[in-house]
Amino acid sequence: MAVSVEGVPVSAVPAATARSAPARRTRRRDLLRGLLGASAALAIAPVVAASRPPGPADAGPAGSSFDETYRGRHIRGALTSSGPAAATGGEWKVTVDGRPLHLMRRADGTWLSMVDHYRSYATPLEAVRAAVDGLGPGERLREDGPAHHHTHMGGHHGLHP
Amino acid sequence: MAYIRKDVSTLTGAERRRFVNALLAIKKRGEYDEFVRMHIDHYVSDGDGGLRSAHMAPSFLPWHRRFLLDLEAALRRVDPAVTVPYWDWTRDRATTAAPWTKDLLGGNGRRSDHQVTTGPFAYATGNWTIKENVTDGEFLTRDLGRAGDPIDLPARSDVETALRDPVYDVSPWDSTVDRGFRNRLEGWGSGSGSAAWRNHNRVHRWVGGVMLGGASVNDPVFWLHHAFVDLLWTRWQSRHREHRYLPAEPPGPGSRQYRRVVARHEKLPPWNVTPDQLEDASRIYRYA
Ligand SMILES: [Cu+2]
Ligand SMILES: [Cu+2]
Repeated sequence: MAVSVEGVPVSAVPAATARSAPARRTRRRDLLRGLLGASAALAIAPVVAASRPPGPADAGPAGSSFDETYRGRHIRGALTSSGPAAATGGEWKVTVDGRPLHLMRRADGTWLSMVDHYRSYATPLEAVRAAVDGLGPGERLREDGPAHHHTHMGGHHGLHP
Repeated sequence: MAYIRKDVSTLTGAERRRFVNALLAIKKRGEYDEFVRMHIDHYVSDGDGGLRSAHMAPSFLPWHRRFLLDLEAALRRVDPAVTVPYWDWTRDRATTAAPWTKDLLGGNGRRSDHQVTTGPFAYATGNWTIKENVTDGEFLTRDLGRAGDPIDLPARSDVETALRDPVYDVSPWDSTVDRGFRNRLEGWGSGSGSAAWRNHNRVHRWVGGVMLGGASVNDPVFWLHHAFVDLLWTRWQSRHREHRYLPAEPPGPGSRQYRRVVARHEKLPPWNVTPDQLEDASRIYRYA
């Protein structure tokens, strides 16, 4: 059925969504490759967070990386110079038990993860610990990553200080 | 003729059954999972760059209004009598009453793994296997009230504070604004205290489980929650009749928000519709 908003026909089906599903899956795979590449980057040199915008996020204990066991989960993270945000201060690559966790940044400099999406945390480490808190016992992240690729959706990249 | 969206606590047994059955039908043919996917894809955070249409932006309300209309249309193709009910979490605050009953959404997740084991969306029914998720979890999860670190649902006064603000939204139109109806309702705060997560955001956190994360649409309560958020928008509109969706004009090239928010007459991705066209939906549906 078609509903109408102010005389403009509003198609009922998210048809565009359905049509673009294969393309999306491909992009997801691209992202996966990026993240797997990132685990290599974890081992190499994480860049120093010098160019990060100031704000509460800079209270991170280890600065540009962490590697710890939290509530039985192995969490690792490193600020890398790869990825689309590299030019503006690098991108955090994070894993929980070896599986990628996508972090997002808020305009105030705080961080949130795909697992815990409706509040934010002062540092990437806090955001990752909160994601672990949000996982059920035995629940793991997806092997193929968080399947989030907003960076492919247009617009420029870059942190908003 | 506009159809009616009802308070979920007032639905008859037959209305509950038909709503549930319509959800199960679109889940079965894969349509429901496209909605989950679409919501994940449109979550763009305001510190990351790119156009924000669904969250941390003025179009939070029209985006979810249209998203609900699409879901509702899908349900009504299955059963033309069905509409999306709303969950008034300022009134229905018990974890055992509507909408958390066996004949509706089922109850809280069990303690061991937060798996929902009651009602029509329990994993064991075979009808609600989660496909699009952030985790490898295939069953619906909930942790109502967050047993390990309890939080309350938003208070009526939190909603009232939002409704009192006469301005729809303010620059820089993101999650950092501390004025304007939109973010007071969406609920982005600052600081780390639990009071920093208000209204809409707080309800996601109170339900917990999949509602906590990017794949929140997997819990059908998502729609009941957002129907109430949508109802609150109509309440705000009738209180402040002279106030409209903002920004009226797109931020200019000199602005940090250039091309990052949807102005009143701009297209709201992924649809071919503007916030202006979504401001008044009273000819499509009304709230009882
Ligand atoms: Cu949403
Ligand atoms: Cu929401």
